[in-house]
Amino acid sequence: MNATVASEYSAEVHSVPIEHRFNPYSDNGGTVLGIAGEDFAVLAGDTRQVVGYSINSRYEPKIFDVGDDIVMTANGFAADGAALIDRFRNQLKWYKFDHGGKKLSIKSAARYIQHLLYGKRFFPYYVSTLIAGLDDEGKGAVYSYDPVGSYEREQCRAGGAAASLIMPFLDNQVNFKNQYEPGTDGKKKKELRYLTLPEVLDLVKDAFSSATERHIQVGDGLEILIVTKEGIRTEYHPLKRD
Amino acid sequence: MNSISQRYTHANNNSVMNEIDSARSETSGNHQLELAPSIQLPPISQPTDFLRAHTDDASNPDCKIKIAHGTTTLAFRFQGGIVVAVDSRATQGNWIASQTVNKVIRINPFLLGTMAGGAADCQYWETWLGTQCRLHELREKERISVAAASKILGNLVYQYKGMGLSMGTMICGYTKKEGPALYYVDSDGTRLKGEMFCVGSGQTFAYGVLDSAYKWDLTIEEALYLGKRSILAATHRDAYSGGSINLYHVAESGWTYHGNYNVGDIFYDIKEKEQSFNNVDG
Amino acid sequence: MNHDPFLWGRPSNDTYGAYNHAIAQASVQEATHDQLDQFPKKHTQQPIITGTSVIALKYKDGIIMAADTMGSYGSLMRFNNIERLFRVGKETVVGISGDISDMQQLHRILNELETDEEVYDNDGGHNLRAPHVHEYLTRILYNRRSKMDPLWNAVLVGGFNDDGSPFLKYVDLLGVAYGSSTLATGFGNHLAIPLLRQLIPNDTDYVNVTEEQAKKVVMDCMRVLFYRDARSFDKFSMVTIKDGGKGFDFEKNIKIDNQSWRFARDIKGYGSKQE
Repeated sequence: MNATVASEYSAEVHSVPIEHRFNPYSDNGGTVLGIAGEDFAVLAGDTRQVVGYSINSRYEPKIFDVGDDIVMTANGFAADGAALIDRFRNQLKWYKFDHGGKKLSIKSAARYIQHLLYGKRFFPYYVSTLIAGLDDEGKGAVYSYDPVGSYEREQCRAGGAAASLIMPFLDNQVNFKNQYEPGTDGKKKKELRYLTLPEVLDLVKDAFSSATERHIQVGDGLEILIVTKEGIRTEYHPLKRD
Repeated sequence: MNSISQRYTHANNNSVMNEIDSARSETSGNHQLELAPSIQLPPISQPTDFLRAHTDDASNPDCKIKIAHGTTTLAFRFQGGIVVAVDSRATQGNWIASQTVNKVIRINPFLLGTMAGGAADCQYWETWLGTQCRLHELREKERISVAAASKILGNLVYQYKGMGLSMGTMICGYTKKEGPALYYVDSDGTRLKGEMFCVGSGQTFAYGVLDSAYKWDLTIEEALYLGKRSILAATHRDAYSGGSINLYHVAESGWTYHGNYNVGDIFYDIKEKEQSFNNVDG
Repeated sequence: MNHDPFLWGRPSNDTYGAYNHAIAQASVQEATHDQLDQFPKKHTQQPIITGTSVIALKYKDGIIMAADTMGSYGSLMRFNNIERLFRVGKETVVGISGDISDMQQLHRILNELETDEEVYDNDGGHNLRAPHVHEYLTRILYNRRSKMDPLWNAVLVGGFNDDGSPFLKYVDLLGVAYGSSTLATGFGNHLAIPLLRQLIPNDTDYVNVTEEQAKKVVMDCMRVLFYRDARSFDKFSMVTIKDGGKGFDFEKNIKIDNQSWRFARDIKGYGSKQE
């Protein structure tokens, strides 16, 4: 039934709400990943943006330096993600105006983002949100959120389209899940330790090149934002474009 | 729902200035600094249907927005206070979103809240409850009773009844006049005082173990073990429960944390020690 | 709340009524008239008179954007003289597809913006440029979608950044925005983009593309669109902006040349020829 042709001027009653079928959400694909180290944290994401089977753009960054050495991403529905990050940036600016340029700790930023997300509990932002930075002791921190704001500090987290491909890999390679000391017959677990920055960057690159092989919404480019006490720097690596 | 839709429907006469003003108010407003939370509704006639259509992954596994759900929690009163034990798994549909969720929310040094149902609902409103309890202390110059605290939460969720909140929580605490007190509060507005509650999709399995060994005269050590053992049973039989177990004890001096036990680690120890779980090899 | 262990914590049908699949599927599948009753109600519109694709690309000196001049009413060619490219400020072009009345509303808003920024706002040489126009449109469209009362359009914005490099970005009725060296809305996303990306495979390759090459590919795209997009037209407008906005060339009434319908002779089925 084509609704366009069906509308007849004579029959239309304008005081009664018109039924419509507008879905305010779409899915723009992409995947993001955050890992915390001892004195650094990284947030990485692919740069492809899609809708359905169409590639909108091969380079549309979605990880941002939002100020105060915090990096942030909100992956899922791109318009919601952009709006959330804009609101956070804006509030961070007001926080600085109101408090004499005081630095916002990542712990407080994390709690504030919970409030932003929960503020739309009944009309949610369709995003999985990650932030990364350094905590008060200078240790790497990654916080992850569900769409309505439940959050947790973690060592690592993958979000978005290929989260289910990357997260098990990270469990094994970052938290050493199901890894045991050789020769102990599965009795002694491999000891947890902090990974170095080069190790983490290698993991991130492997995670994304592998996800690109097996997920249609992932590819084109990989952008990594690295937070250390020196500040934030960005790396870019091409991914397969098929 | 009509009254709600009316409140949030904008009378829009589509003038150019209207458009521009609303775009500007989005960027310039400073609403979030207000103390009282305000939550936006979708400006349509059936906001709850809308929310459910997009978030209820149990009815429609293809729905896009999957909210993290928490699962088995228990708390019971005994002669030495209250034991609280919870698992740590969060699921979004069939996906295990996390194995390390903290499902006990430390409202203040004397009050604990547990988390089952929507993870964000519990986390948000129980943190909010913490601020309300602190305000009560400042106003009344004494600690809030568990009854009052649980009622604040119960009243709050009742205001939102029918809107789609999902939480099943236990408020546990100790005050001089009440002794150890335990209340169950859920998002339907139910608030019950009781001796023992298990809440979540694994509740039945936890009740089974808890009921068979519970008595009032349990020592603290026995009670902690029983809590842990009940959650272990639930993680074993309920796919939506798992990860690790967090244990707490609430007594006159406030709550104490009794550690985190990875299910994978303690399962075989307990099996061997108890000669239980004989359905499992090894 | 459902207390059944398997569905624990989920909304129960007793309280909320049955789950409404139609809302979750809205705009994904065609709804029947009966199903329309199940959608949330709101004063809003659906696209009535519509314009089809807008296409645009960057080239070494600037950007080129093109759109045909038809306004369709369903399958009826209702208007054949609707201009869908707009100049905003000195060096920015905005191309709009989708609902024509909403396009005109956006045009009024952009005029207002131009008046505000270029006439009343003396900010010492800060000009209204394409990135600002695009950000502004993004906010407006996202705000309207959040009111469940969208402006039913997909919009391309072309112009220059403050540093003089070409700027080209997209935004649609949901507020989804993205940039690329080759952009198209609607059917153009399927038919024109492959041709454009053939000329500009990587986003940075536009620096090697001459104006002649760019204009040729635009003509090719418009021709292919006219062949296969049943809501397209053989008359279009094209805007070329170059040299940081110094050259703004608005060509109207361009006819699609070199048409060859010989390919149609070999099409079989779909009622044209039964064998």
